[in-house]
Amino acid sequence: MTTSKKNIVMREKDMQKVSAQQKVVQALVKVGVYAFLLVMALIVLFPFYWMLISSVKTLEEYRMSVPTFWPQKIMLSNYVEAFTTANLGRLFLNTLYVGLVSTLLSLVITILCAFAFARLEFKGKETLFGLMLATMMIPGELFTITNYQTVTQLGWLNTFTVLIVPFLVSVFYIYLLKQNFMQIPNELYLAAKVDGTSDIKYLCKVMIPLALPTLISITILKMMGAWNSYIWPRLVANDAEHRLITNGLRNAFTETTGDVNYPVQMAAVAIVSAPLFLVFIFLRKYIMAGVSRSGIKG
Amino acid sequence: MKVVLENLTKIFPSRNKKSNEEVIAVNNFNFEIPDGKLIGLLGPSGCGKSTTLYMLSGLQKPTSGKIYFGDDDVTELATEKRGIGLVFQNYALYPHMTVKQNILFPLQNLKGEEKMSKEEMLERAYYAAKLVQIDELMDRKPNELSGGQQQRVAIARALVKMPRILLLDEPLSNLDARLRLQTREEIRRIQKETGITTVFVTHDQEEAMSISDLIVVMKLGVVQQIGKPQEVYDNPVNLFVAKFLGTPPINVFDGKIKGGKVYIGEDAVMEVKDAADQDVIIGIRPEGFNLDENGPFHCKLENVEVMGRDVSVVSTNAASLNPVIRSIINSDNKVNTESETVRYSIKPHKMFVFNKETEERIYFEVK
Amino acid sequence: MVDNKQQWKAWLYLSPAIILLLVFTVWPIINTLRMAFLEGYSAQAEVGGATFEFGIGNFLKVIEYKKFLQCMQNTILLCVLTVPISTLLALLIAVALNSIKGLQKILQTIFFLPYVTNSIAIGMVFAAMFNIVGSFHGTENEIIQTAGIINNVIEFFGGERVNWINAGSQYWANITVMVVYIVWNALPFKILVLLGGLQSINAQYYDAAKVDGTSRSRVFARITVPLLSPMLAYVIITGFIGGFKEYTSIVGIFGETMGPPDAPGRLNTMVGFVYEALENKHQGRASAAALILFVIILIVTRLNMRFGKKSVYY
Repeated sequence: MTTSKKNIVMREKDMQKVSAQQKVVQALVKVGVYAFLLVMALIVLFPFYWMLISSVKTLEEYRMSVPTFWPQKIMLSNYVEAFTTANLGRLFLNTLYVGLVSTLLSLVITILCAFAFARLEFKGKETLFGLMLATMMIPGELFTITNYQTVTQLGWLNTFTVLIVPFLVSVFYIYLLKQNFMQIPNELYLAAKVDGTSDIKYLCKVMIPLALPTLISITILKMMGAWNSYIWPRLVANDAEHRLITNGLRNAFTETTGDVNYPVQMAAVAIVSAPLFLVFIFLRKYIMAGVSRSGIKG
Repeated sequence: MKVVLENLTKIFPSRNKKSNEEVIAVNNFNFEIPDGKLIGLLGPSGCGKSTTLYMLSGLQKPTSGKIYFGDDDVTELATEKRGIGLVFQNYALYPHMTVKQNILFPLQNLKGEEKMSKEEMLERAYYAAKLVQIDELMDRKPNELSGGQQQRVAIARALVKMPRILLLDEPLSNLDARLRLQTREEIRRIQKETGITTVFVTHDQEEAMSISDLIVVMKLGVVQQIGKPQEVYDNPVNLFVAKFLGTPPINVFDGKIKGGKVYIGEDAVMEVKDAADQDVIIGIRPEGFNLDENGPFHCKLENVEVMGRDVSVVSTNAASLNPVIRSIINSDNKVNTESETVRYSIKPHKMFVFNKETEERIYFEVK
Repeated sequence: MVDNKQQWKAWLYLSPAIILLLVFTVWPIINTLRMAFLEGYSAQAEVGGATFEFGIGNFLKVIEYKKFLQCMQNTILLCVLTVPISTLLALLIAVALNSIKGLQKILQTIFFLPYVTNSIAIGMVFAAMFNIVGSFHGTENEIIQTAGIINNVIEFFGGERVNWINAGSQYWANITVMVVYIVWNALPFKILVLLGGLQSINAQYYDAAKVDGTSRSRVFARITVPLLSPMLAYVIITGFIGGFKEYTSIVGIFGETMGPPDAPGRLNTMVGFVYEALENKHQGRASAAALILFVIILIVTRLNMRFGKKSVYY
């Protein structure tokens, strides 16, 4: 196999020309890529920007036929009005309470379950786990119909219990944590047994610290879930005492079209969105890690 | 195609932003690779051998210096214009394509004048596959092949467009010991058959010595020695090269030159001409010892390992810089295993003397 | 290894989860099947002592129901439009992000932002952006105070303004708004997964392709996409499952009327239908509709997987 005729040796001049051309093409591609990304980023960011500037405009300015991209006069009173109109303080507290309690209980249940599946031997383990995974296929709406009847019969309507208990078990979180626990070498558990360490102590001292990132991801996703839940709370606890933030927002501003007081509405939206953004800024790593594995929101 | 490296240098900026230490991966490399030869770039990890290979391929750009393929300056030329074939350490076979698709892939990229008809491409692909003896595996996927077979596919893919130069990055490191022996013969055969100038990188000196026409020994970015394998082995220019080549490794000792004699410890093992008095490091190849009842070099006998054709005598000496001294003796010579000591005379051409500070070789004539 | 102590300990640890699952997951599955196959079932009537015949009447009623067909059409239309658009956009963005060094982290964060939002709340922002304040078209004394920022932008580029979501708006305009919002909402997850996939592809494949002089488009089509195919299959399947359960994003933009003021329910989805039936105490019908939804999701997932097996390599 000799060097083929087609590989004619390029002369030096041609080569220089070729490499100059390459550089131009590469630079153009790079500019194109950045332009594309920046335009897309602007589109993604625009609704947030529009929410923020609209939330501080006066109603008159908002209604001007030529829109302003920076408010002429900054009306922070919109926020005060939004807060009182929608009774946001109460909604915040309700949501925080439901979120915290359900996260805590859910963590305990999930950890115990994951530990049993990951470390203990018992009859029917594989079958049970398989069945639990299978339920993940079924859309939640299918459960809601019966669950609504169940909680009605239990007399739980318009209580906090109804917002917390039905969703304490998440098969997906059990699966996630079990996988995490299984990565911890079994020798550690056997060694602990030899030393006479109790299961619970071992769980607290070894497994939980090692699985902490997953637990944090679960906590955040669960809290976000409480913050964003809409359908179930609307169905079972839509009274002023127990209403959660998303429902409160939708209830206070039922009109979306027509002549709405948008600045105040946008201020309310901004207030509701703010905690999520704060959490995101500080805990981005855990959220992204949890989300990329789950594919579900909350 | 001959390849010329001229003052080739590659400096990586420091990864740590605080310290401004740059890493000089390759320092001022000059070398003319003759046409049609198999060259082994050899050295421990971090010596710059892979960086050199990647600069030849064009995947990395040199900081300064020039690379010529034949008479053409290719320093600034993009990889794909260089007409090279590159075999990666992990083969980089596309897992979603069959062997045939993998080998055809480079040909399908050709454009314009170089574009080939389907039949031509298939013919070429089968030619390359036959050359590496995988023409019966063409419809398999890479994960259905053994390591050795994957290696051959990678070579076929690199050869199929008839490169001007073939580059191999640690081609044998992912194979088990037996396959390694077999495959290195194979590489040698393919290179001979095609006559393509080939450069390969390895950290295994035995591998490099066994198949290369020329080896280049590198350390910390600096070329130590270039030459035919046997020449480099017989004539190392410094302690590093002497230690790096050879299995079992060379025995090294603290010693001195005094009054025209070379001493290991207190034993004057050789008389030499024209050598100034100084402290030195002495290296003796394992095959450089003769059992000699009246030999000048005294050692304490530890044990004798029988290896069939040869025996390996393990002994100790206070001046030795290695834990033990290992000498390879023809098994015809009887070693008295009862004795506590063993005495050697040294073969002059198997002993090298190095300056203690610079570790450079000290040349002299033996009386 | 199976000793008795471990046995009862395991069941003790599992018991809270199992009890809750039995009540809120297993029983609903059984009960939904039961309710769906009892003619005209209503829980309230049952409590009152009524009995129901076994039959498939609920399913027939649901399928004959015009509203349900409308819901199904909306759901499928939104799925078919948003999944390909968002997947393609996410793929382009992920590939672009993967190819740059400067600004990568900050851009990655920006593209993830829509994920950490409340879909009702941000839906209200989108509604504001598309909304026209004032009466629109039709009459002589038409008063338009502000046409909404989207219309402003369209007019800036010389286009005609559109009635997107107000009274009198067209169906396709409503759908367009929903597609824009759903795609915007779906991008972050897809970009995150695809970028993760891209970053795990061994860089040597690209070096190998470069040595062979492979063009950018060929690298994309022959190497990137096939090696990314497991991730692509994953985002497409989850995209379809999410798409068939679409509901809250529509509530976000149109409110609980699920449509413009003069055409309530026009944009209702299958999930919306289930809830409507439930609120009207037609549990039998709701169950039947939920089962139909489940079967559709199952079929689509299966089809995706079968198609995926052919195109997902290794």
